[in-house]
Amino acid sequence: MSAQLAFLAFFGAAALWFAVVVFRTHSMVRSALALLFSQTAVGAMFLVMQAEFLGVLQIMMMATEMSVMAIFMVMFMMDPGGLGAMEMTHQKKRSLWAGGLALIAALGVSWLGNWGPVATQLALPARQTELLGIELLGRSMLIFESAGLTILTAMIAATMVAITPLEDEPKKERHHGH
Amino acid sequence: MSWLIPLIALIGAIYLLAVIEGWSLGGAFSLARPARAALAMIGQESTKTRKSDALFYQAGPVLLLVAGVLAVAVIPLAPDIILADMATGALFLNAALAYVLVALIMAGWGPNGAYAMIGGWRFLGQFLGYAMLIVMPITAVAMRAESLMTTQIVTSQAGLWNVFYQPLGFVLFMIAAQALIFLPPLDLPVAPGELAGGVEAEYSGPQLLVFRLARFVIILALAGAATTFYFGGWLGPVLPDWVWSGLKTMIIAAAMLSVGRFLPRLREERFLALCWKLGIPLSLINILVVGVLVLVVPV
Repeated sequence: MSAQLAFLAFFGAAALWFAVVVFRTHSMVRSALALLFSQTAVGAMFLVMQAEFLGVLQIMMMATEMSVMAIFMVMFMMDPGGLGAMEMTHQKKRSLWAGGLALIAALGVSWLGNWGPVATQLALPARQTELLGIELLGRSMLIFESAGLTILTAMIAATMVAITPLEDEPKKERHHGH
Repeated sequence: MSWLIPLIALIGAIYLLAVIEGWSLGGAFSLARPARAALAMIGQESTKTRKSDALFYQAGPVLLLVAGVLAVAVIPLAPDIILADMATGALFLNAALAYVLVALIMAGWGPNGAYAMIGGWRFLGQFLGYAMLIVMPITAVAMRAESLMTTQIVTSQAGLWNVFYQPLGFVLFMIAAQALIFLPPLDLPVAPGELAGGVEAEYSGPQLLVFRLARFVIILALAGAATTFYFGGWLGPVLPDWVWSGLKTMIIAAAMLSVGRFLPRLREERFLALCWKLGIPLSLINILVVGVLVLVVPV
């Protein structure tokens, strides 16, 4: 039990440390990958808490998501390598307020929420996976399906906004080998 | 000592693969060549580029190797010769191999070199293409086995191998596997002859050795995964379990290494278009067909 607690604390500290690194570096790629390793540490915490499926899923999804995010950050930022030491933050006061309020809300939920009795008997990993599947296709189906559909719609909308339709481009005169 | 046998098997298989690659590409069969090349690389200087992101530069090849070893850990050589028989083995394989992408982006970005960086981002583009094609065929495999455990996936094929049960899924999986380990014809991230080695371009000495070693480990992981998911793993008559899975894995790995000799390199956007417009619908059809088969025809 104490070893489990020690590992949990270690990965928790790693998650926090990498989360701090996200804001301490000027390099967009470093920032994105620090966020990835922070999330990977959270996945490792799931594994330590014997939630195998959730842990593995978290570790897998974050690798791909954060990598995709990294290329977007490189594309849209003027100084992706952080070599020019450009200031790339904005609306600092508002972000601080938003972050502070979110922190208070999260702490409030974790302290005031009713978490039920502490589990003493854990289902085996295979059974846990099965239970998760039943949950996703039963009680929680509507919420997950609507979330998935919303994300898909947002992705398509974002792509539509980002691309320039071919017709709107100024027509160039074509030269054929003259 | 249950980890010792898989480890020895892994090292032996890597060496054999290196010999096969030399044979396939260089045309000369030489048992000593990989050992000589490795020794030469250890002795070589590890050059550094100017203004490199040292952390990523150093960590890239190591992370690639770690991802490969973790992926190999869930591949069974025999019912009792497996490093980690996890309840979520098939998913864990994907999770480990997802870090190939992270490692290549790190290795591409780190050296502060144009060829390497283009190679790294090219792999990200390639990933967008193959990602779904590796996950969705595995979903169909797990559906038949009613488990994500790799050992249970093997035993589920006792009646009929998955390569015959779900051939469409097998083809899609192999294309995705070829893209994942950037072997020709899908070798744009390194692209010898065009991108001067791409991600590998700025590496030399021991770091390059780690990179090459990691590549072989991942090839083995993928060939082992194909054996486990589609060719009935250790199942086979007469010979012992581990011989069958070892033999199948090596044949698939050799095929993966040599198929590029007969096909031209595929351009990035064509690969992406093919994967999304054709691959994803086909893998959805594969899931549907397998789902119906599982319910209707019990094999």
